Amino acid sequence: MITHKRRLVIIGNGMGTCRLLDELVERDAARRYEISVFGEEPGGAYNRIMLGKVLGGDAPDAIVTKTPEWYDAHAIRLTHTTRVTRLDTLRKTLETSDGQHRQYDVAVLATGSQPVVPPLEGMQGEDGELRPGVFVYRTIADCLRMRAYSRSGDSAVVVGGGLLGLEAAKALSDLGLHVTLVHVAKSLMNAQLDALGGEMLGRQIERAGIFVRTERTVEAVFGDERVHGVILNDGTTLTADMVVLACGVRPRVDLARASGLPVNRGIVVNDTLATEVPGVYAFGECAEHRGTTFGLVSPVWEQATVLADVLTGSKPRARYTGSKLYSRLKVAGVDVASMGKLEPELEADQVYQIIEERKSAYRKLVIRDGRLIGAMLVGNTAATGTLIQHFDRDEPLPDDPLEVLCQPRATRAPAARLVCSCHKVTEATLVAAAEAGADSVAALGEVTKAGTGCGSCKVELEEIARKHGKSARSLPTVASA
Amino acid sequence: MAERQRELRVVTEAETKTHCPYCAFQCGMAVTVTEADRSRVSVRADDDFPVNRGQMCIKGFTSAALLEHPERVRSPLMRQPNGRLVPVSWDSALDFVAEKLAALRRAHGPAALAAFGSGALTNEKAYLLGKFVRVALGSPNIDYNGRYCMASAAAGQNRAFGVDRGLPFPVSDLAETRTLLLWGSNCADTMPPIMQWVAAQKSSGGALIVVDPRHTDTARAATLHLQLTPGTDLALANGLLALAIQEKKLDRDYIAARTEGFAELERSLLTSHPAFVERLTGVAIDDQLRAVRMLADVPSSMVLTGRGAEQQSKGTDTVLALINLMLALGKVGKPASGYGCLTGQGNGQGGREHGQKADQLPGYRLIEDPQHRAEIAAVWGIEPSALPGKGKSAYELLDSLGEGGGVRGLLVFGSNVVVASPNAEHIKKRLGALELLVVCDAFVNETAESAHVVLPVTQWAEEEGTMTNLEGRVILRQRVRPAPSGVRTDLEIMRELAERLGAAGFRFESTEAVFDELRRATRGGKADYSGMSYAKIRAAKGVFWPCPDSEHPGTPRLFAERFAHPSGRARFHAVKYRPAAELPDHDYPLYFTTGRYKEHYNSGAQTRRVAALVDAQREPAVEIHPRLAARLGVLDGELLLVESRRGRVEFVVRVSPDIRVDTLFAPFHWGGKRAANVLTVAALDPVSRMPEFKVCAVRARAAVSSPRSTL
Repeated sequence: MITHKRRLVIIGNGMGTCRLLDELVERDAARRYEISVFGEEPGGAYNRIMLGKVLGGDAPDAIVTKTPEWYDAHAIRLTHTTRVTRLDTLRKTLETSDGQHRQYDVAVLATGSQPVVPPLEGMQGEDGELRPGVFVYRTIADCLRMRAYSRSGDSAVVVGGGLLGLEAAKALSDLGLHVTLVHVAKSLMNAQLDALGGEMLGRQIERAGIFVRTERTVEAVFGDERVHGVILNDGTTLTADMVVLACGVRPRVDLARASGLPVNRGIVVNDTLATEVPGVYAFGECAEHRGTTFGLVSPVWEQATVLADVLTGSKPRARYTGSKLYSRLKVAGVDVASMGKLEPELEADQVYQIIEERKSAYRKLVIRDGRLIGAMLVGNTAATGTLIQHFDRDEPLPDDPLEVLCQPRATRAPAARLVCSCHKVTEATLVAAAEAGADSVAALGEVTKAGTGCGSCKVELEEIARKHGKSARSLPTVASA
Repeated sequence: MAERQRELRVVTEAETKTHCPYCAFQCGMAVTVTEADRSRVSVRADDDFPVNRGQMCIKGFTSAALLEHPERVRSPLMRQPNGRLVPVSWDSALDFVAEKLAALRRAHGPAALAAFGSGALTNEKAYLLGKFVRVALGSPNIDYNGRYCMASAAAGQNRAFGVDRGLPFPVSDLAETRTLLLWGSNCADTMPPIMQWVAAQKSSGGALIVVDPRHTDTARAATLHLQLTPGTDLALANGLLALAIQEKKLDRDYIAARTEGFAELERSLLTSHPAFVERLTGVAIDDQLRAVRMLADVPSSMVLTGRGAEQQSKGTDTVLALINLMLALGKVGKPASGYGCLTGQGNGQGGREHGQKADQLPGYRLIEDPQHRAEIAAVWGIEPSALPGKGKSAYELLDSLGEGGGVRGLLVFGSNVVVASPNAEHIKKRLGALELLVVCDAFVNETAESAHVVLPVTQWAEEEGTMTNLEGRVILRQRVRPAPSGVRTDLEIMRELAERLGAAGFRFESTEAVFDELRRATRGGKADYSGMSYAKIRAAKGVFWPCPDSEHPGTPRLFAERFAHPSGRARFHAVKYRPAAELPDHDYPLYFTTGRYKEHYNSGAQTRRVAALVDAQREPAVEIHPRLAARLGVLDGELLLVESRRGRVEFVVRVSPDIRVDTLFAPFHWGGKRAANVLTVAALDPVSRMPEFKVCAVRARAAVSSPRSTL
């Protein structure tokens, strides 16, 4: 019997929290908890994956997953535009930047991540803020600022050739800007693709109108009250009206540090998503689980489910044991999928690569003991659905693993299939009869008796007569060479 | 030639127009009985009936074989102390049943009695059975096997449109639509004559999309086949709408003018990324996109669901997601467009309209609505307070049989629950715990094997009555020949029992007199039959409900102007994906799904007795992908032992590349040791109470007679 409700406070209001709230509501958590959420950004949660839409011109509301009314309707107290600065984990209170204090019983840190801002010369103005024209790409506000600043015909340099950088480059290119992407590694998306894959992607990106410069870094940003360009480490100077920094993200751990929680790269949690401090949990991009931090949404959602199971007691023994890494996206119009390992590790690991040189398409499978441990696809992703299911479930691959890359129905159904069940006539018999001249339903019926019982197979007989009858075969099968 | 033959036949023999006893397509049949020998009945498809237009499948073609079948029961049977069923007179059987019912009611209250009906019963029987249970027995406990069939589609349509009619348009509209999507339906096998409409649609340039984990005969005809992972239909349906939003394919004017609730739905779909959908369903994003474009970029398109989408623990939500899609594309209510359900059982539609469901009263009224209760109580001449409340749904009803659950006496009409229910071995045990089980059927089926009393009933050719087909067209089953001696109609049985129990209101002069009371009971309800008569139905080759007065021609098409909610608008529902109740895991690593053969019908109680059908399809085979078969070390024709957490079955192996490599399929038409439903799980949809027949987890290995191997 619960005599009073416990206070559950969630710090951070991003995609992880959005999912956690759904999971909590589904488990009727309100019976046990008074839930409050603190968010630094204004308004309700939104889908960060769709930021490109806002940069491209959609209204911010188009990507809002939970309006403030949603929180009200579910009796969840939302305090937005407010940063939590410290938890007193002994007294179980939290403190906000505007001086509020709030009691809690259980705290969940979902503070997410923050953009890595490299210390470039000239990047900051005299006030220490980013120089006008220099942007990071993380929030709705960032997108709105970039959109307001950008004019078609302007030039932009995007620093970073990972997922976010490519997305920003594409959105700016679509707004009519001249876009150059500068990437430090040898090839694009090097966290998800091997060198060849990244190169193929790079070629396609260039075809889409974006200039790519790999193996280069930005040495300095120059300008006056506004940015005017960048200098690369190879000495090249690129003029630019905008510079977008997309150099990756790192877990946001400032609050955890200030509160004395154990922090490594991220906030350290166990399989229940608990920190070692009683009553404090963490999940999502800010958390470090078994030495790994995550920057993709699927693992975060999986963690949210486990956390909801544990906190509500709906499955108190639920545990998060890690996630299979998978990214699937369309970058600058190019379909890309990547799962698991990029390269073989053991001597016995098998690798298959298919290079479509002219199309700049690339497919690679990494196989161990007949099972898929990694795959990447650039430009030709039709088999992704099949591959990811094999990868997720450790499903054995066909003896010839390349079969999984083909359309699932490489083999036709057996011709022994009954078409006419009244007279037990198989497809093979009918095809043979049609080829021997029985090229109408009536003729097939006379020869094989098919269709002379209930008649329900007549539609199919018609098709067989049409496809395999003499008149069909007399037509040229190929129009021209 | 055919015309001439027919004329000749008419001269020498009596030909009667009636309808096939099997599925919801209710093919028109012309049945000829030789004057000299009434036992010789021949059947042909009716060229003039506008639904099947002279086509019929092998089941209908051979349906007369059951009339003079040697196993047919021709006298009531009662279980003797030695366990045998022996023939007794009608009076002694009915007296025994009535006395036992009365005694159980005295001892344990009316709720200890229950009836289980069927989608095979005519409207008149379904109506009278509902009345019998509530008035003569005084019990709330009546439900029917339609709960295993269309309940999810019914619940979804009621929520979205405010009314549930399988198809809101005549089946001929299929031929007119530019894109037809069949979702979880293998109608080439389950409803073969419908394929003429699909063929007509395709030959006039239309596109066909099929969604099914198997590459069925229906999928073979498709322009695009989405071979999804079992149990992920809801994810795919939501994903298609999310893609349609992303691709700006919606009809925003239609949404504004004719619907409500879209804003909430649209927000909920923001997290339905195509990539997640692809990962869950295995359906490539490109194929998802193709499907969306095929549905959206044409003036007309329709989605029809079958049991594949519906028989899941989230069947209602899946139907709602598909309705969401078609509403958002602005298709519902437009010519040859919208959403429909391919009802399964012969009278699955009518069976759910007239009070055969635990929560409903005639005219598609709700038993918990005070006004609806008052309206029906007035027709039945009782106080509304005397009308019982809502009873248990089909599976829950069967699960509650016996001392612990509270139901001690059960009457079963036209259903073979032991074969048709999920977790079938458990249900068999529950039936064994009854103090009285009465089975009304023409044969001693698997369920009757547990019965205390079997009451032999007339078959389709020996009775009249109305059926409501998948289109909502009310049609007339006409008597072809007299009933053999020793059998009675279900209506007579209900009357006899009601009178022995002292209840009035069950004496009717004819079947049409029952229909007349039914018509009155439906007046003002959503499924309004009040303007129909047998003569009118006969003349018009069927009348579509609603038909509120005798001048009214019936309503072939719904929703052109308004929906049936008070606002006149259709309602969107934000429905969230959730996994199947049981997913493959380390111990049970494969999906198992069930379905049908062309040659058999439902529990097979009828079709397994027809020599021609048994000859064509002798036994159930488990369909398995060649790669999985190789891994398990089984060859075509060998035996595979399939086990779930509920039971085990040995099936003959049929190796086929038509099935997904992670899935096994078997038909559920057989009972006993070959019953697929021994394996299935009784997870119920929270709204429709539909069991999850279409997905559970199993493991498999070669049976002892084959080389051993385990997965």
